[in-house]
Formats: sequence, structure tokens, C-alpha cells
Amino acid sequence: MDTDFKGEHLLPGHLGQFFVILSFGAALFSTISYYFATTDKLNPSWQRLGRIGFYLNTVSVIGIGACLFYIIYSHLFEYHYAWEHSSKTLPVYYIISSYWEGQEGSFWLWTFWQAVLGNILVWRAKSWENPVLTVVMLSQTLLSSMLIGVTIFGERVGSSPFILLRDALDLKASTPIFNTRPELYKNYLTYITDGNGLNPLLQNYWMVIHPPTLFLGFASMVVPFAYAIAGLWQRKYKEWIQPALSYALFAVMILGTGIIMGSFWAYESLNFGGFWAWDPVENASVIPWLTLIGAVHVLIVYKNSGHAYFTATFLVLISFVLVLYASFLTRSGILGETSVHAFTDLGMFWHLVVDVVIFLGITIYLLVSRWKELPITKKDEETYSREFWMFVGAVFLGLSCFHLIIVTSIPVWNSMFGTKLAPPADPVKHYNIIQASFAVVVTLLTGFTQFLKYKKTDVTRFFITTLIYLVFAALITALVVYVTGVYRLHVVYILIMLGSVYSVLANAKILSEAFKGKIKLAGSAVAHIGFGLILIGALIAAGTSKVISENVSGEQYSEDFIKNKNDPRENVMMYRNQPVKIGKYTATYVGDSVAAPNHYFKVNYKMVDAAGKVTEDFTLMPNAQANRKMGLVSSPDTKHYLFSDIYTHVNMSNALTFEESEGKAADAHDEASDDSKYEPPVTHEVAPGDTIRFREGYIVLKSLKKDVKVQNIPLKGNDVSVGAELEIVSNGKTYTAEPVYMIKGGSAFDFARKVEEAGLKLRFSKIIPEKNKVEISVYQQPESQKKYIVMRAIQFPYINFFWAGTIIMVIGFLLAIFRRNKELKTV
Amino acid sequence: MKKSSILGIIVIAIAIAVIISTYSNTSTYGSFNDAKETQSELHIVGHLNKQKELFYDATKDANYFSFYMKDNKGEECKVVFTGTKPQDFERSEQIVLTGQMRGKEFHASKILMKCPSKYTQDKVEITEFKATQASI
Repeated sequence: MDTDFKGEHLLPGHLGQFFVILSFGAALFSTISYYFATTDKLNPSWQRLGRIGFYLNTVSVIGIGACLFYIIYSHLFEYHYAWEHSSKTLPVYYIISSYWEGQEGSFWLWTFWQAVLGNILVWRAKSWENPVLTVVMLSQTLLSSMLIGVTIFGERVGSSPFILLRDALDLKASTPIFNTRPELYKNYLTYITDGNGLNPLLQNYWMVIHPPTLFLGFASMVVPFAYAIAGLWQRKYKEWIQPALSYALFAVMILGTGIIMGSFWAYESLNFGGFWAWDPVENASVIPWLTLIGAVHVLIVYKNSGHAYFTATFLVLISFVLVLYASFLTRSGILGETSVHAFTDLGMFWHLVVDVVIFLGITIYLLVSRWKELPITKKDEETYSREFWMFVGAVFLGLSCFHLIIVTSIPVWNSMFGTKLAPPADPVKHYNIIQASFAVVVTLLTGFTQFLKYKKTDVTRFFITTLIYLVFAALITALVVYVTGVYRLHVVYILIMLGSVYSVLANAKILSEAFKGKIKLAGSAVAHIGFGLILIGALIAAGTSKVISENVSGEQYSEDFIKNKNDPRENVMMYRNQPVKIGKYTATYVGDSVAAPNHYFKVNYKMVDAAGKVTEDFTLMPNAQANRKMGLVSSPDTKHYLFSDIYTHVNMSNALTFEESEGKAADAHDEASDDSKYEPPVTHEVAPGDTIRFREGYIVLKSLKKDVKVQNIPLKGNDVSVGAELEIVSNGKTYTAEPVYMIKGGSAFDFARKVEEAGLKLRFSKIIPEKNKVEISVYQQPESQKKYIVMRAIQFPYINFFWAGTIIMVIGFLLAIFRRNKELKTV
Repeated sequence: MKKSSILGIIVIAIAIAVIISTYSNTSTYGSFNDAKETQSELHIVGHLNKQKELFYDATKDANYFSFYMKDNKGEECKVVFTGTKPQDFERSEQIVLTGQMRGKEFHASKILMKCPSKYTQDKVEITEFKATQASI
């Protein structure tokens, strides 16, 4: 194109694109060099070349990130990525979040973490460096290729974050003026004053740390995979297990944390009213976690007993393939209409498929070609041995993962076999029941396996302890189930409660032994206790959560409601300052506060005891942004108690405008249009001391005050000004107002006063000397003009177990990693 | 028989059970015509008829929202949703409903809408364009 565009900054983009190509080239070069370093052990220069390629890749990955940051930070909207994912009003700390709103940024994040992990491996892996880094760099090559964005043979490969706006979009087609006056086209940038902005839902501090954690988890899954591949490839069948174990524990810990952070973000800032919805995108992140957690267990089994070698290897390998499959699911657009927040297709469908197929191919090839040499024991495990039941547990984790894959992949089956299946009509129930069944087995196993020993166990003693703990767990479960109301749920949930309590108890016993000296055991015990608590918390919170904003006032029932009583009526409408009964609370929408671009709705909750004393009083501030591109996007606010949460979410309101969210003040309206916002006035003739009634309360004329000053209007000679001191009581609250009547230069004026909170405008419209009375005009806002919100409030009991369990589990993983690292003596 | 073979059999049995239960739990994509003939819940893909009225008045009933949707076969039906009007509903390009017929109305228990504008913005806003035009 020959047009000479004005005002573009092309350098950062060119530099960025250069780094993109360099990172791909360097990764490919490093992969090849490390490959030959592995096969040709006598020539040390291969390893040197491999490292050079590796470091070049690291540098260019950082370079890409820096260029992208500069572009977004400087608001260079000539770049499509900056235009699409950021805006000038975006605070600096959310620039980080705009990195992962788009696919390109999240791919970059992945390559970044992989580069960091690669550096650790180059430093620590020693004799494993060559084969392991061959695999890691192969993965890095494929990831880098997703960012290339260059057209080869008519097909665009990858999608670059440095594509210019004018190349990404057909500006001429969307803005007709460029066709009628082509000379303006070269100045197109002057028309682009701001970017699209970041999705308001991502403007949350959790969104700054959740994606990096999650992607560190995904990225670190390549390490155990690489060790397993290296072990098979180099025929070091047993040696790879020990170093891979620490990395596998690390990956499981980080990915688990990332997933829960995501659910916390969903709970804090999304509107579906919960922390888990079995959305395909959520499932996609859990799938590899389940297989790898299974893998960790069988790796330990193999280490201690020599059994389950194939299962351990297979689970480690398949976990990484499933990470790639998960990214295919979420990024290829195949989930289409089954998921709310999957990405749309960026033209990388087949690219992502190739990625999965390559690593699946390597896995299958190595497993098949080395099959006969694998150290698989022919001996059967003892029934009363820890290894056998750990193995069973891993298998059940695999099965639960299998179920998730089958259901989440329904759109994939549809496109493969041409079927037209739809996901279950009530997916949450479907997943909950089936996954809970697996969880029952898994939790019971994490319990009684603790009482078994490797190789052989004393059977009588085992049965006695198991039973004692089971009885004890049953008693506690009965109590918990009764108190929390879980007994009203499906029986499988009661069983899962039993399993979790049992698991917590059994592992608490191990933990107490750990304190007595067997400190090695602490890691697994703590992690299992955490896992048990997560399940207990999730079960109670999700199972017994209650919508407390149910509409029971009877006022707003429509005919349809009477016809079918079963529909959930979860939203309640609240006019400003009109209290509404919500559960045991009296809630009032008391006002708004604005900190552009957020609009906060103040909702006050009060609990009053029988004696009329206020026992609790707090205000929640759910917020919303009116975004021109995305409409009203709102986030909930939650009151956290130790044992329950009150979650409040505004679905709709007439109190906020686009202008306000964009930081502009709403225009002052002229008098006529102002009056149109009120119902026709009602006039009252009153004397001091009289009371005027209106819909929501009453007004008392306290007294009339002479010679009141109105702003700076000077009064002369015969001029008169009288103020009416009014006391307004509306919905139990008292306000004052003083409308003024004035005769100046022979003509009458009056100055109305508004009481916004009560939706009133009051005029002192006349003095009637013959009756010794005055006339007050009362303007009331019609119901539809009054500020209102439509909100939903949900109570989540005991959700803190869920979060506390997560933290405890992470601590457990950390302890386990320290322990395994101590055992590790890499050569 | 070896324990591992027993375990293998159990695993296969559970895997089959999972597939069957999933398959029997899956719903189907259909049209309004299909919905009239069945009692069970199903998914209907279609688009909003923007000519007809969208009804939602929070002052009357905060939990009643109705609109007219055309399914992919072109058939139109009134849809009732118990809840608030989803934000930005007017701009949706495609809607997926889950629910069933009740009389002549389709009662949706879930609405999933795709606003492509949310994810892939493919147009420079003309309004912005006009606002700055005057300054030249």
C-alpha cells in the first residue's frame, strides 16, 4: 500500500514483530540443537548451540512483552491489540490484565513462563538437560508459532499482537467516509481517539494474578512430561521419576491455586452467583489437574513399591497432552454456543489441532516402541497394601477426568461425527451428581489408605482403626449434616460429606504422628486435610446456598407467577430509601456513589431483634459500569462472616448513565424538562404547624421565615422574600427543605427546593393573605422515575471452609515439595 | 483371576456407565416445533426478533422478561424468562435458549447470548468518527 499514513508509531511494532520471529526461530534452533546434543553425546558443541538458542528465545520473549507493554502503555491505538483491549482511562495496573484479555497476550504469558522454567532446568537439570530441554523447546517452538501472524501459502499462521489496526480491520468498509473522501484515509488515526477498553469484568485485582498463576500451572506441566519423554527416549526408565515428582507436585500446586483463584474471582466479581459453574472453560483447566494429581500418587507408588509404572508414565504424559487439548477447546472457538467465555476462533483451529497431535504422537510412539523394555512388574499387589489402594484412587481420578472430557467435548463429538447433541439441560446437576460419586470414592480412599502400609499391612489392626475412624466420622457427619441442612440434598452429597470428614480425621491422625517425629508425612496429610475441607466447604456452600432476595412481598406478582408457582423469583426490586425485607434482614437501597468508571449502589442491611434493637448494620456496595461497548456490566459485593457470606448483586438500575461512567457530568436540565420528571403537582393550602401527606410520608410546615436571602439577589424597598421551613418525613427518615417565595420589583418568583432522596420537589407557590395561609406545591417523582435497583442476594454458608481448605492444601503441597527435593540427588 | 484384571473390568464398566449416563443426560438442539411436541427441556438456537416488543418492566415485575425469538427454521415464538433482562440483550446476534413450551409460550430456564461485539470488535464506532470530524 502506498498511502503515507500520518501519526503512526511503527517502530515498537516492527521491533516486537522482529522479536516474535526471533523467538520462534531461536526456539526451533534450540530444539534441533538439543536434539542432536542428546543423540550425539560426544560433541559438546551441540549443547552450547542449544543453550544459545534457548537464551535468545528467552530474551526475545521478554522483548515481545516489553514492546507490547510499551504499545499499550503509550496508547498507540494504531495497533489492533491496544485498540481492542485497552483505553486511555485504564489504570496502569490493569494494563497487565489487558495482556490476557486477548489470545495473543495469553499465549505470550505461556511462553514467558515456559522460558522461566527452562532457565531453571538449564541451571538444575544437569545430565537431564539435553533431552528434557529438547521437549520443552519443542513446546516453546509450537507456542511461539502461535504468535507469528505471517501469511504462508495463503494461510495465516498464528496471530501476532503487533498487527496494525488498519490491517486487522477493513476501515474503509466500516467507515464510509474513507470511500467518499479517500484523502482523509491517511489521517485515519486522528479519528481514533480511544480504544475499546478492557472488559469491566477483568478490571479486578484477581484478574491481575489469576491468569499468571493459571498459566504458570499450565506451563509447568511440560516439565514432568519432558522428564517422562526423556526417560523413555534415553531408556532411563526409572531415573526420571524422582526429579519429575517435585515438578509434578509444583505443577499441581500452582494449577490448583490458579483454578481456585479463578473461582474466587468468579465469586467476587461475576454475576452467576457462585464459585463454580462447570463451564467448559473451567472444566478445561480441571481436566489436566485431575490426571496429574493421579500421576503424582502413582509416581509415589512406583517409587515405594515398583508397581504401577505404566500408569504413572501414562498419566504424566497424558496430562500435558490434555493441557494442549484444553487450550484447543477454549481457543479454537469449537465450544461455540456451549460456553459463555470461550475465545472466538482466531483462525488457529488447525494450528491448535496440530499442536495436540504432535505431542500425542510422540507420547504414543515412545510408549509403543519402548513397551517391551518398560519395567512393568508381573507380580500382583497385595490387597492390604497402600500401593494398591493409591493406585485405585489414581484410577478413579482418571475416571472422573474421563467423564469431564466426555461431557465438555460434546461440541467436538458433534463436529467429528456430525451429531447434534446438546449439553445436559441442567449441566450443574449432571456434573455435580456424577463428579460427587467419584469424589466419594476418592475421599474414602484418601482416608483409609493412610492406615495401610506399603507392601504388607497387619489386617486386623487395619480393620480396627479404619472402623473406629469411620464410626467417629459418621457421628461428626451426622451432626454437620443436621446443623447445616445438607440432609435435604441428594444422598450422594451426604456420602461425600462422610468421605471428606473421614479423610480429614484420618489425615489429622497422620499429622499428629508427624508432629511426634515422622515429619516426612506432614506434607501429604496437610494436603489431604485441605482437600477434604475444600469439598466440605464447597458442598455446604453450594448445596445449602439460599437466595434470600426472593420476592415475597406479594406486590409484584404478575399473572404468570400465579399460574406457575415453581419458577424461581430471585430478583427483588428496591426503590431508593424504601426498605425491603430480605431474609432476616431489612435492606434499603440508600444511595449511590460514583468513582468513574464505577458506579456503586449503596445497599444497607439491618437486622433488628424482637425488642426492636438493631443487632447488625452494614452496607454493601455492589457496583456497575455502563460501558457503551458492553452495556451494563455489574459486579457483586459480599459481606463476609466467619460462617457465612451475604452476596449482593445488582442486575439492573435506572440510576446510572453512560455519560457518568465515562466521567462526564450529566447536563443540567432546564426547568420544563425538569418538571416533566415529576408527576403533576398537588397544591396544599397550609398554615404553620399543618401537615401535608404524600405517598411515602408527610411534610410539616414548621414556620415561615421572613427576609431570607437567596444567593446574591439584593432586596430593595417593597421586595419581600419568605421561606417556608419544611420538615419532611419519608420512609422513616427526616429531611428539611426551605422553598422561598419572593416578590421583587412587583413580580413574584419562587425558588423550588428538591429532596432527591425522597424523590420530591417542593415549591412555595403562593401566599394567601386573606386566609392567613400559604400554598405549597408538592411534586412527586412517579414510581418509574424514582431511582431503583433490581438485585439478587444469596447467602452462602460455611464458604470459608472452601477458601481455608485451599490454603491448607497449598501448604501441604509445599511441604511435600520440600520433602521430595531433599530426597533428590540429581547427577 | 488377577486383581488388576478385576480392577480393569470395574474401570471399563464405570467408563461405559459414564458414557451412557452422559448420553442419556444430553439434551438436543431443536426448533420451536420440536418443543411443542415434547415435554422435556431442549435447546433452541435462534435470533431475537428486533421488530417486536421486548417486555421488561422492573416496576411491575422484576422477574418477568419476554421477547420474540425466531429459531433457525424461521419460526417465531414468544419467550418468557423468569428473571431480569440480560444486559445488552438487544445487541445479541444469536441466542441459545434452554427450556420448554408452556401453552403457546416458550419458558426459558437459561438464556445464553452471543454478542460478537464483546469479543471481536470489528468496526470502528461511527459515533466516534463523527464527533471528531468537526474539529478538522
